[in-house]
Amino acid sequence: MKKSFAYPIIFMTLITAISVFALAFLNESTAERVETLQETELRTKILYAFDIKVNTTDPEEIERVFYANIKEELSGEDKIYILMENNKEIGYAFPVSGPGLWGNIDAYVAISTNYNELLGLVFTKHSETPGLGGRIEEEAFLQQFRGLNISGTQDGNYIVYRPASNGNVDAIAGATLTSQSVAKLLNEDIDNFIKTRKGE
Amino acid sequence: MAKYKAKKILRDGIWDDNPVFRQLIGLCSALAVTNLCMNSFIMGMGLTFVTGLSSFTISLIRQFTPKHIRMMVQVLIIAVYVIIVDIFLRAYMPELSKALGPYVGLIITNCIIMGRAEAYAQNNPPIPSLIDGIANGLGYTLVLLSIAVVREILAFGSIFGIKILGEGFVPWTIMIMPPSAFFLLAIIIWVTHNIQDKKSEVAK
Repeated sequence: MKKSFAYPIIFMTLITAISVFALAFLNESTAERVETLQETELRTKILYAFDIKVNTTDPEEIERVFYANIKEELSGEDKIYILMENNKEIGYAFPVSGPGLWGNIDAYVAISTNYNELLGLVFTKHSETPGLGGRIEEEAFLQQFRGLNISGTQDGNYIVYRPASNGNVDAIAGATLTSQSVAKLLNEDIDNFIKTRKGE
Repeated sequence: MAKYKAKKILRDGIWDDNPVFRQLIGLCSALAVTNLCMNSFIMGMGLTFVTGLSSFTISLIRQFTPKHIRMMVQVLIIAVYVIIVDIFLRAYMPELSKALGPYVGLIITNCIIMGRAEAYAQNNPPIPSLIDGIANGLGYTLVLLSIAVVREILAFGSIFGIKILGEGFVPWTIMIMPPSAFFLLAIIIWVTHNIQDKKSEVAK
């Protein structure tokens, strides 16, 4: 093949253009599906945080249950979710986040409107070690936050691991660093949320 | 003749010239994703798909590709297929997409793909290249799965998420962590080399 200056450039440009068009098309055609999936997943998680059981994976049914119970509201920069019962607000779910062991941990915390009780906790994103820190996603760990009384909290330490004398939650064995990160991000963000809400 | 050749290519990729335990490439991902069988399986399938099709495409356009920019072209084509896999997983298998996380994007850096493109697809017609890519992908998948089966049984007491060991089983924490993959990979390389060496001695 003769050495030409222009040919490689044209060749590369052409092949790049074709690839980009193919990928853009593919991305566009699946975008809606991906978005629905993510929306449904978030809704399922918020419902879980409020301890509302949905025994279905049907997106429309989940959407129906979601809007029957929950109202969305903007609080500062974050979108928070309000659990309604007979037109009365009975709980808030708000996003919390912070560094974990390997990457950022994102979660939602549900709290009662008088800020005395945690209703639930759910993780939306984390990259902890599967089988160790990854167990923060498991029912056994999450259930501990259901109805957790935090009215006697001092200095913003809402979550304290046993066996500390005022401990209220069990950490995960073999995942000390993940457990500590979770407690830290929960304590900081719950404290922030309560302070902002009360300040309003 | 053609059939015989296809068989030989498959045999080379899966056993005689297996990318992981003969060529010793693609090791990073073999260590990283093998803590669960399902992860390994999908990773292997993704890699097989990407290696097969990128080898095919690269071979198809090899006569038009200027030699000095061929690597750029190869990386571009590999990237395209990896992104296709990523989009597909996100849209149709969201759970797996989450479990594999960054590893899907990292398929592109797997040396097996580039290795096959350079070593084989660049000099051979499209169909044998496709078979060669798939064979190497399968060889990789098999090694991954054999590591993953051991790791998942000892770490979680299950295979593909199905519990097979009873409640009384105490999980081996080390098996969840990356170091265990080093031991297992070394054992696999040792065992397969022993078998292969014996065979070649007999042949002599």
